[in-house]
Amino acid sequence: MIHLLHSINSFITSGGGEDESMFDIVMHHLTDHTITTGFIGKINEQYLGAKLFGIFDMRITRWVIMLWVAAIICLIVFVPIARKIKNAKYGSSSKWVNLWEVLISFVHDEIVEPNFDHHYVKKAMPYFLSVFFFVLFCNLAGLIPGMSTATGNLAVTAGLAILTLLGMIGVGMVKQGPLGYWAGLVPHGVPAFVIPLMFPIEIIGLFIKPFALTVRLFANMTAGHVVIIIFLYLVMMFQSYWVGIGSVTGSLMIYLLELLVAFIQAYIFAALSAMFIGSSMHAH
Amino acid sequence: MEVLKEGLLKVDPGLLLWTIITFLALLLILWKAAWKPIVEALDARAEKVRGDIESAERNRLETERLLAQHRDQMSKSKEEAAQIIAEGRSDAEVLKNSILEKANAEAKDVIERAKREISMAKDKALSELKSEVVTLSTEIASKVIVKNLNPDDQKAFIEEALTKIRTVQ
Repeated sequence: MIHLLHSINSFITSGGGEDESMFDIVMHHLTDHTITTGFIGKINEQYLGAKLFGIFDMRITRWVIMLWVAAIICLIVFVPIARKIKNAKYGSSSKWVNLWEVLISFVHDEIVEPNFDHHYVKKAMPYFLSVFFFVLFCNLAGLIPGMSTATGNLAVTAGLAILTLLGMIGVGMVKQGPLGYWAGLVPHGVPAFVIPLMFPIEIIGLFIKPFALTVRLFANMTAGHVVIIIFLYLVMMFQSYWVGIGSVTGSLMIYLLELLVAFIQAYIFAALSAMFIGSSMHAH
Repeated sequence: MEVLKEGLLKVDPGLLLWTIITFLALLLILWKAAWKPIVEALDARAEKVRGDIESAERNRLETERLLAQHRDQMSKSKEEAAQIIAEGRSDAEVLKNSILEKANAEAKDVIERAKREISMAKDKALSELKSEVVTLSTEIASKVIVKNLNPDDQKAFIEEALTKIRTVQ
């Protein structure tokens, strides 16, 4: 992908002769920056400068702020909603409450219920509701001009996918027993001599699942933004207002598509997580 | 692995850890403050709706049963009413006939009695007339006798008087 961007970049810079190349613009929009100014900059300097355990650079970055924005939106939306739903015995007549209730029901009906036994649905709901709405708000917040898409970063999607992986292993080990889970990775009825071959494959498969989650969400959220930026950059590249008509229209189309993708990817991430964790409850 | 350190595909361990921390904090807060009450409330509502639908179904069946019963009773009552009306009509007919018969009989009775009384009155009048005739004849006879009476005349007179009386009778 980077090579592709580089080649496009060199083509563009050779033609346009701009000071700021397109590659720089794209990279500026889509990569993380540690915040150095203001109050947070001071905190970063004074308290978070040293790396935690030598690896984790805990300085607050733009993406961390975006994560917090999404989290705060979640809290602002759902804590009052919970109170309203609890108080409205016959269902609230408010459109705002019903909108979120529909989405919560959607998570219940489409994500959790098909993948979990009836008894565990209620226990599994909070995690998948959180995943769905957190990813959704991260995706949507990134579409607001001036903000960034937290989920368009491999570290963020990897963090969420690692929780799914831990969920799969944790739920599996609790439900099937610590050893039973690892033994259960190999399907029953497999001839004995295949087991040494199957076991590593299943282990790799176990890790590929969250890896696929990571890359899917990241790539989907990044690709749309790259296209939007490139469309807009066409104006600067051709140095013509007339190109603006087409490029802004095209970029608006992609933006609308991104709204859809934001929802779909949140659903896919939550649904696949539910599927993986749900299926690890039983040996296959 | 160089690509993971810089650029678009960079995986920053700090950000990864921040993501996990943020998400877990959010999960815990929402779990307590939002998801638990919401899921419980929605479950309770779903349960309530199911109960309401069941009771509505029960009520519907009960209503249908009552309606059928009611219809049954209605048709029975209609039949009874019709029967009562029919009975009333036939009773009235019978009563009418008997009253007519009685009236006819009484009328006949009255007529009979009147006829009897008329005939009795006629008889009485006749007998009174007879005695009157006798008296008159006797007076006439005595007058005649006083005027001139020879035995032959007397005899003829009596004879005549007797014949008259007989014819009157």
